[in-house]
Amino acid sequence: MATKEKSEIKIGKHVVSITNRQKIYWPDEGFTKGDLIDYYDKMADYILPYLKGRCLSLKRNPNGINDKGFYHKDAGENAPSYVDVFKVKSESNGKIIDYIVCNNKATLLYVANLGCIEINPWNSATKKIGNPTWMVIDIDPSDKNKFTEVVDTALAAKMVLDKAGVSSYCKTSGASGLHVYVPLKNKYEYATVRDFAHIIASLVQEQLPEITTLERSLNKRGPKIYIDYLQNSGGQTLASVYSVRPVPGASVSTPLEWKEVNHQLSPKLFTIENIFQRIKKKGDLFNPVLNESNSIEKVIKALTV
Amino acid sequence: MRAIWTGSLGFGLVNIPIKIFSAVQDSTLDLDMLDSKDHSNIKFKRVNEKTGKEVAWENIVRGYYLNDKYVVLDKSDFEKVSPEKTKHIEIKHFVDETEIDSMYFEQPYYLQPEKTGIRAYSLLRDAFKKTGKAGVALFVMRDREHLCIIKAKEDVIILNRIRFAEEIRSTEDLDLPSAKSKPDELKMAISLIDQLSGPFDIKKYRDDYSERLLKIIKAKSKGKAVPFTPMKVVHSKTKDLMEQLKASLSDKRKAS
Repeated sequence: MATKEKSEIKIGKHVVSITNRQKIYWPDEGFTKGDLIDYYDKMADYILPYLKGRCLSLKRNPNGINDKGFYHKDAGENAPSYVDVFKVKSESNGKIIDYIVCNNKATLLYVANLGCIEINPWNSATKKIGNPTWMVIDIDPSDKNKFTEVVDTALAAKMVLDKAGVSSYCKTSGASGLHVYVPLKNKYEYATVRDFAHIIASLVQEQLPEITTLERSLNKRGPKIYIDYLQNSGGQTLASVYSVRPVPGASVSTPLEWKEVNHQLSPKLFTIENIFQRIKKKGDLFNPVLNESNSIEKVIKALTV
Repeated sequence: MRAIWTGSLGFGLVNIPIKIFSAVQDSTLDLDMLDSKDHSNIKFKRVNEKTGKEVAWENIVRGYYLNDKYVVLDKSDFEKVSPEKTKHIEIKHFVDETEIDSMYFEQPYYLQPEKTGIRAYSLLRDAFKKTGKAGVALFVMRDREHLCIIKAKEDVIILNRIRFAEEIRSTEDLDLPSAKSKPDELKMAISLIDQLSGPFDIKKYRDDYSERLLKIIKAKSKGKAVPFTPMKVVHSKTKDLMEQLKASLSDKRKAS
């Protein structure tokens, strides 16, 4: 029987216990749970600004990527003392959920040790929990779509957002899609941001009616790219920038320059192995998403003819 | 522009030293074939069909397939049939330019006189223009003899390569109607043609395929989106959404 390997990582005054480092998470590549934890340890400075003050919806894959895993929101109760917790009343059943808030590196490594390959922060931070920091459009292809079509959809979104007069930033989802973010500096409530996203998504869909859909139901969607604007709600999450994804190749959600969003782009180009090289060269391309601000009032003016 | 041929043009007793330049350029973009994975250039190799191994240039010969086998030709065989190398184009006779069917036309070239030929060149050019005639001649370029006509267009003398008669296919294999058209219908068709008739202005027609492709290339290199269809920003569908968005913004103002 394999012995349960245990180790500790000290971060300042916090000590994070790490278990089963040797467990294989990516069988094809041979990457282990330890590799995952080392990745987040190394990436902490880059990913933490996008997690700080945000509730995490944990997606846990404790048996690696070939296991479906499970979602775990109410994870705060048993967490160690260095983990901050934020109570949110569930809209569906009124229960109080103790969300883990990722305020430090120790928390990041703690959730990684829980088997969170993917890190899913809220779009809003707890200090203004009703107002998202950004608007996000999730460009999510069916398995019948070519990635060049995903790229075309992102470029159409860029064109619409340019026309709307707002800045936008693109990242790979790390799996098969692309995410487009518009920084809003938590000026607007979720409902407003969702309406804004809905308008943008419809305009993009009108540009590419053959290959895209706003149809939420998987059965009715068909072989089309789903332009998902519904993630702009409290409690909805997308994999964070610099999050690893539980997919073959251990690819990472990676910020892109718009000029890189072209038909040569490959969705899984950036992995836990090569992303550091890229960051060294390009820096944190996603930084404006946290710091820039755009006006929805101006969008209305720009889009109303 | 670089001259592709130097020699002389003659008719009767006049001999004009000239240079030949190509009169046309390709309007299509020069696209390279690349490996989609890493954008390396695609390279071609001459390989032996049987072994798949590359064959060096010096080991390549040309052959003609005749009676189930190849007859291989060597350099001396080609030399035997090559036209006499000559750097002189002699106009043998003149014809009306309009007599030459457009099907025969191939590559056009510009002729430019050397310093000593300027006066003779002008003389020939002006005589062409005055008479509306074109000269017919043979000239040798790259070991082959070509048929051409020589004519004037504005300030320049043009050499237009034309095809030999045997290069034009016969129409006998085509199924073509022989029935005569009805006079009324013919009248109608002619009046339609008359209505749409006008002087031929080549500038009205443009091949903008390359231009549009280049636009896409430039936009892509800057990472800009290329418009797919003209965007009407507010459709009736999105109009409702826009109202909803406006309402949600004013709700917010009330609340705060």
